[in-house]
Amino acid sequence: MKFQGGFNVLLEGRPEGLVKVMPEPKVLYLPLQTKRFNFSDVRVTEGDNVEPGEFLATDPDNYSIPLLAPRAGKVRLDVAAGYIVLDEIARHEEHPHTDEDEMSHIVQEMGAGGIKRYKLLNLGAWEFFSEAYSGNVPDPLGTPQAVIVSTVSLEPFVARGDAQLHNRLLQFTRGLEHLQSLLEYQPIYLIMPDITSAFATRVREHIRGYAWVKLIEVPMRYPYDNFNILARKFGLKKEAGPVWSIKTEGVLAVDRALTMSKPCLLRILSVGGPRVHSPIHICVMPGYPLKKILDTYASGYDYRVIINGMLSGEMMAIDALGVDSECRGLTIISELKEREFLGFVRPGWDRQSYSECFLSSLRKNFRERFTTAFRGEGRPCVSCNYCAEVCPAEILPHRIHKYLYSDLIEEADASRVDLCVQCGLCSFVCPSKIELKQQFFDAKIEIEQEKEEARLEALKREQEAQESAE
Amino acid sequence: MKILRDIFEKVSPSFHEGGKFKAFKPVYEAMENFFFAPAARTVMAPHVRDPIDVKRFMSMVIIGVIPCVLASLYFYGLQIIAMIIVSYAVGGVVEVIFAMVRKEEINEGFLVTGMLFPLILPPTLPLWMVGVGVAFGVFVGKELFGGTGRNLFNPALIGRCFLALAYPAAMSSNWVAAGEAGVGRLMQYVTASSVDAISSATPLVLAKQGSVVEVSHMILGTTSGSVGETSGALIIIGGVFLLFTRVANWRTVVSILLSAGVMAGVLHHSDPGRFAPALWHLFAGGMLFGAFFMATDPVTSPVTNTGKWFYGIIIGVVTISIRNFTGYVEGVMFAILLGNIIAPILDEIVVGFRLRRLRGEG
Repeated sequence: MKFQGGFNVLLEGRPEGLVKVMPEPKVLYLPLQTKRFNFSDVRVTEGDNVEPGEFLATDPDNYSIPLLAPRAGKVRLDVAAGYIVLDEIARHEEHPHTDEDEMSHIVQEMGAGGIKRYKLLNLGAWEFFSEAYSGNVPDPLGTPQAVIVSTVSLEPFVARGDAQLHNRLLQFTRGLEHLQSLLEYQPIYLIMPDITSAFATRVREHIRGYAWVKLIEVPMRYPYDNFNILARKFGLKKEAGPVWSIKTEGVLAVDRALTMSKPCLLRILSVGGPRVHSPIHICVMPGYPLKKILDTYASGYDYRVIINGMLSGEMMAIDALGVDSECRGLTIISELKEREFLGFVRPGWDRQSYSECFLSSLRKNFRERFTTAFRGEGRPCVSCNYCAEVCPAEILPHRIHKYLYSDLIEEADASRVDLCVQCGLCSFVCPSKIELKQQFFDAKIEIEQEKEEARLEALKREQEAQESAE
Repeated sequence: MKILRDIFEKVSPSFHEGGKFKAFKPVYEAMENFFFAPAARTVMAPHVRDPIDVKRFMSMVIIGVIPCVLASLYFYGLQIIAMIIVSYAVGGVVEVIFAMVRKEEINEGFLVTGMLFPLILPPTLPLWMVGVGVAFGVFVGKELFGGTGRNLFNPALIGRCFLALAYPAAMSSNWVAAGEAGVGRLMQYVTASSVDAISSATPLVLAKQGSVVEVSHMILGTTSGSVGETSGALIIIGGVFLLFTRVANWRTVVSILLSAGVMAGVLHHSDPGRFAPALWHLFAGGMLFGAFFMATDPVTSPVTNTGKWFYGIIIGVVTISIRNFTGYVEGVMFAILLGNIIAPILDEIVVGFRLRRLRGEG
């Protein structure tokens, strides 16, 4: 398999492989909105006492994916808008939301496979699944054309597979078995950093005999853990059905839900970046107060907190209170404060650059200490081709940018802007500081809308033609 | 630094909305951002950016030609400094006027054009011609197309082309016999009237007359020629620096030199009496300077790497053809301008193939 582009961004502040369990919080703030989900159907009322694993809310647009109560506590709905707040937190026995009547009904309707899917959904494991091409949640009742399982996580600072897999290899392979039981001979691609490593050998020993798992090695360059790119590399076509993709923590959640019938209430997050004094992985539950994490790990003030990685993540909202259920890491970097004197002649001597300018071309890779500095002024494209060299999707960002600049949206569509995976590397390397990632994101939405409108238009015309024929 | 900071802060209001010198805002911003890295922060992902920017991209070219400039001072005299100053001043004024009219920032591109332009002129060209040439080059070659990044032709070459057609006599004489021994011409200011220094023949002219200059002279630079193109060794040093920093693409350089070398070699082999050897062609005239510094301009060369190979081959072959089969003694300038015209077509073909491959993906 040939990979093109990609870049290994070496940064200071990589989290340790250890996982630290954070102290129990007093209050939990569970956001009703995450990147993919909008838990608009609230199932609890003010003052309710909930048990761990109970439904707090569901997302009606995404197969009723539930927001589970991570701890026992008292529901407060009016404390903070957009959050379900739990106070009087206590650790009780988990209370899986599985209904015997409903289960027996499902067994009659769909058999044992139906039960498994029901459990995955209701025990909070299904939210770890995504469709490789669209990034949306796949239909829990559907059958995929293939499953991609990735143990690597290549964006700087985001929770790594090896930290999560530590001492849980057995659970991982059991989870793979459960996954396989949902399939009908479709392949599972298992992505590993190095298929000859001691770890990979152990995995191979554990899964020996399961011919349906294919071990695939990817280069350790961001973003080759991206499911969209992997699915393309494996030759899986979008039209041939959904490609389920799932990371390490998802496989472990599947194991927990199907082996032990217990809900998945904990998450492993990374806390890393130049402004974290001891970068580490932490084990918390969704809704854990962000302030408490930042007070413990961030040093100083005047920093920027990014939810997930620094290349594709989002800035934490100022009024954000709790960790959301999809968060995989917090990255903390310095805000730019001081303007460097004659800064443009200095980079390269003391810092690494994609273009390997000045001395950095002669030095070995070293870890860079980044800030939120824009590092230059916006300029017209100078056609340096760096973006195309670094692009993992093999499209030509500079060309698409020029089309979009002249409002040629059809040309941009023909240049396959839809293959862009929003990794952000093109914007990262651009010497002219063009916001390519954002432009492509907007263009994709616009193209989708136009296609949808065209489709509705055609449908309407067809109906009219039929009516007039009658 | 603190003092400079304070000065900038003090004068800042008069350059912004409502200030006395509002029209000169681009000049103020260019100065401020020259001394102090821009204060802008990222507002969206990616939250960190690579330290490379256009200013540094361009300043690397200037570092790359410094050896050539120093060599020209040694071989041809101090008037080179005056030529560079005139070129920067006139080119800068054109750029600033356009930035003010368009209400855009001043682009760093003219820093490179202003430096490269005098280096491709004869060493004793009257200073007013330098000014006219750079003004024409920046205005017609760049600003009319919309500024840096949108130009089709290399502005410095457009300026030179204009001078070569408008003042053919001045552009084909005015050569200086290279200073040798001791301080060279470092203490002289040579003009067209300095009779003892003026020489009429560059190696390419001499070759047309049947006498071939030793390659070793051209490597050292002890021959006459345009300002920056004499010393092959120093051009290669500066050029390799550009290749290392990835500002110039090695594919363009390699394909130009390789194709020119192969073609010259084949010709020489077929008729050694008529055609000069390959190595001689590579070091003569503007071949090296053109390959390393002019043809590699990212804006006017093809963007795609495959396109760059063909672009280089076209330039190499056309240069050798012009030198050997036409009345012109030097062909690099026309070859690169021709390459600039063909570059978008080459890109179009390469992109067409790429899109055909992508069509079935995903």
